[in-house]
Amino acid sequence: MAGVRFKNVTKRYGKVLAVNGFSLDIADKEFLVLVGPSGSGKSTALRLLAGLEEINEGNIYIGDRLINNVPAKDRGIAMVFQSYALYPHMTVFQNMAFGLSLRKTPKDEIKTRVEKAADILDITELLKRKPRQLSGGQRQRVALGRAIVRKPDVFLLDEPLSNLDAKLRVQTRAGLSKLHQRLGTTFVYVTHDQVEAMTMATRIAVMDQGIIQQVGKPQELYNRPDNAFVAGFIGSPAMNFFEASVTNGPQGMKLDMDTFSVPVPKDRLSALNPFLKKKITFGMRPEHIHNREFLPPGCEADGDCITASPVKAKVEVTELMGNEIFLHLVAGDKSFLARVDPRTSAKPGQDIEVVFNMDNMHAFDPETGQAIHTQKEKGQGEGKEKVEKSIDLPS
Amino acid sequence: MMARKLEPLLSPADGFLPRLRKILSRWPLHVILIVTALLWMTPSIGLLISSFRPATDIASSGWWTAFQTPFEFTLDNYSDVLSQNRMGQSFLNSLIITIPGTVVPIMVAAFAAYAFAWMRFPGRNALFIFVVALLVVPVQMTLIPVLRLLTDLNMAGTFPAIWLAHTGYGLPFAIFLLRNFFGALPKELMESARLDGASNMRIFFRLVLPLSVPAIASLAIFQFLWVWNDLLVAMIYLQNPELAPMTLTINNLVSSFGTEWQLLTAAAFISMALPLVVFFALQRYFVEGILAGSVKG
Amino acid sequence: MPAFLFVTVFLIYPVIDTLRISFFNRNSTEFIGLDNYEYVFTNSTAQSALLNNVLWLVLFTVLAVGLGLLFAVLSGRVRYEAMAKAAVFIPMAISFVAAAVIWRFMYAYAPEGFTQIGLINAAGTGVGLEPIAWLVEHPLPYTDVTLPGPLHTNNFALVAVGVWMWTGFAMVILSAGLKGISTDILEAARVDGAGEWQIFRRIILPVLSPTIAVVATTLVIQALKKFDMVWVMTAGNFETDVVATLMFKQMFNFSDFGRAAALAVVLLAAILPIMLISIRRFRAQEET
Ligand SMILES: Nc1ncnc2c1ncn2[C@@H]1O[C@H](COP(=O)(O)OP(=O)(O)O)[C@@H](O)[C@H]1O
Ligand SMILES: [Mg+2]
Repeated sequence: MAGVRFKNVTKRYGKVLAVNGFSLDIADKEFLVLVGPSGSGKSTALRLLAGLEEINEGNIYIGDRLINNVPAKDRGIAMVFQSYALYPHMTVFQNMAFGLSLRKTPKDEIKTRVEKAADILDITELLKRKPRQLSGGQRQRVALGRAIVRKPDVFLLDEPLSNLDAKLRVQTRAGLSKLHQRLGTTFVYVTHDQVEAMTMATRIAVMDQGIIQQVGKPQELYNRPDNAFVAGFIGSPAMNFFEASVTNGPQGMKLDMDTFSVPVPKDRLSALNPFLKKKITFGMRPEHIHNREFLPPGCEADGDCITASPVKAKVEVTELMGNEIFLHLVAGDKSFLARVDPRTSAKPGQDIEVVFNMDNMHAFDPETGQAIHTQKEKGQGEGKEKVEKSIDLPS
Repeated sequence: MMARKLEPLLSPADGFLPRLRKILSRWPLHVILIVTALLWMTPSIGLLISSFRPATDIASSGWWTAFQTPFEFTLDNYSDVLSQNRMGQSFLNSLIITIPGTVVPIMVAAFAAYAFAWMRFPGRNALFIFVVALLVVPVQMTLIPVLRLLTDLNMAGTFPAIWLAHTGYGLPFAIFLLRNFFGALPKELMESARLDGASNMRIFFRLVLPLSVPAIASLAIFQFLWVWNDLLVAMIYLQNPELAPMTLTINNLVSSFGTEWQLLTAAAFISMALPLVVFFALQRYFVEGILAGSVKG
Repeated sequence: MPAFLFVTVFLIYPVIDTLRISFFNRNSTEFIGLDNYEYVFTNSTAQSALLNNVLWLVLFTVLAVGLGLLFAVLSGRVRYEAMAKAAVFIPMAISFVAAAVIWRFMYAYAPEGFTQIGLINAAGTGVGLEPIAWLVEHPLPYTDVTLPGPLHTNNFALVAVGVWMWTGFAMVILSAGLKGISTDILEAARVDGAGEWQIFRRIILPVLSPTIAVVATTLVIQALKKFDMVWVMTAGNFETDVVATLMFKQMFNFSDFGRAAALAVVLLAAILPIMLISIRRFRAQEET
């Protein structure tokens, strides 16, 4: 049982800064997901923690112990590799027992532990097989089992689901969450798939180009991304971005996108004031753009939904997802995506009116990409909580 | 145990001391490697140095004394060897013998190995075992029957005869090695290619050969060396001095000059030069891993 | 399949011919049954050659594979890998004739009191030991103990040369196999708590075992067929004969084709079971 602390950790490969000034505190029993696009340094960060790579600068602690120079085998960790890295010449049982036998664990204890883990993972009947006689999903579970039997302080997983098919991935996601609860161990999980991050993590760290962009609970990252990168990375389908000028008109402050404009809600006025007559990057998630005819509950009554003037847009493509429809829309020279009520009967080529739910607007400094935050009160907006429930659906 | 836990607490992550300690902790590795490497090179170095020493010195003092004063180095040995009128011709002969003697058996073996590894035909395994069992046939045993046969065919003492001979002798090992390597290639690869409609020929040339470059390179260098350094086969099958490869010419040189070691040392280095060039040219394939570029998260 | 044409002409036909000749007298004019085989197993020269071959088989194979493996593993972990490998590989590039010359320089012997031009004796006398005629003597170096059978100093000296030449082969092939082991597995073992030695013994060695078998098989065959090395170094004198050199002598010096053929057949018979075992191993491995 232990937390993990990265302090200003840097790793270079020649000139490439794979991990750059990485600082992160991971609490005991947390399920931390390190997410970011491919090549962002996630695996490297995990491998530094595992002791498979050498740190150039900074310190890593597990619990209170500085482990920079502790060999991998003494760090109290277990790791699941993307390729599973099962030992091809050993049976499933031997694969799982290997780490224990190296530690001179008594034979019968090895046996009970392996059998218990096999039971948890439902691979008891595979124990005598060799890795090449297993399917992908079975191999993945053996890899997990090999880590479980070791009873590590920290569990490291590097894209353990990326070699599974979509259906199995969804199942295993739930399985992993359960496993985490059951074991009560710290998990550090690396993935490029934000859906995995959102569904499993207790906290997420978003990485890009070797740098941590933001750390927080899934909802926090979704609601209040610190910068345009996180905003675009978290959430599916991805947030729409518009280049907008902040102007002051007769009805108050507006975001002007040439072909259409939207009003700024009152609680954002102070934050956006410094940007008056300047450009900002305006962000709107597809799920916060509604068909005017089917406004979601909570939107009609009050708030900025209704005050916002509807935007006329032409439907280019419709994608029916079952319980909702994605509309690819064009307004003037701007194209964007809306995730609307399934009752919408819009056909490609039609003009429809959509409403931007400005309560959920995002604004970013176009130069730095940093979010332009208001001093926001907590728990703002009931409607958002509901939306979050559905963000893990399609990817 | 305690020491191990405390140690990291005391040292900063980055800095001179840990780095030094890391280098020191690996010193047994370096010592073993360097000492063995030097040990392995000593005889060759001795040969190299000797090849630059005058004949009288070679016979009277050890080569390691060459660096004591008075320095006496000479290129005479090399010029003597090279001025032998047949040396240039036999270098060429060696090339003429070695290149087909390497390429042909590897080509033939690659086809056969592919068939053994990936094609189904009756008696496949029995046939493979039989071919590999032939590895054990001592070359000396075959010399006389084959020579008789070649003489009957009027081929004795010609280049094609020796090409064929090296091909025959090289095949079992080449088939053995390549089959084992081909067999280890992922089955899915062949299957997906076959589903894509690729013929055996296509799979062989577009898939199996490119993937087997490291194995083929290793095989090529060994076959090259064996043929290049072969004396016995050349001695028996190529009596014509016009066609003699370097090994044969050098051997004759030595026997006709008696024990003139100084010439041999120089000649040995001349004949080594090309194999070393080939080795360094192919070195990349030995040092780089077969799966060096495999996927990693 | 042209491959079969080649092996038929150059290998199979000779084998059959040899088998036939081995039952005939010295110039193949008269059938003499098993007489030639009786010679192989009772004549003391032939016996010593057989035993020498056994020594080669064991010592040469074990040392060349062991050292080749050691080198392949160690050199993969340093930056000067290419250089280290080249050093071990160079002997492979040297022809037997040249190698023989080199090693005559190493083993050269002059009676005590004369200048030693062989490196080993020079080093030995340098520290006060008596010079040794490495390629002639039987007793263990610097002692009076003479071990029986093939365990003679001159045999060891010859095997050393063989090992020197062939370790490079073992190293190159084993190293190719090593590079084929996925680094993920090795890292997984490290995380699982294996030290370097355990990784080597429990992961690398078993995963590499098919490659080791290929190399060992090849070297065993080399050991059994060993000819050039012995021929150019000692010509089989001082009881260093191996089966192949004896065969050559029977054939070209004594013109006794029958005996030569019988020796060849014995050699072939000795190697076949080794081949069968190693092939069976492969098949077993492929099926799991
Ligand atoms: N062994 C290595 N040698 C050189 N560069 C590497 C190595 N491993 C990773 N990198 C580089 O470091 C960066 C981060 O890689 P990685 O941590 O694997 O990314 P991720 O896991 O997020 O996809 C990439 O630019 C990659 O090219
Ligand atoms: Mg990765």
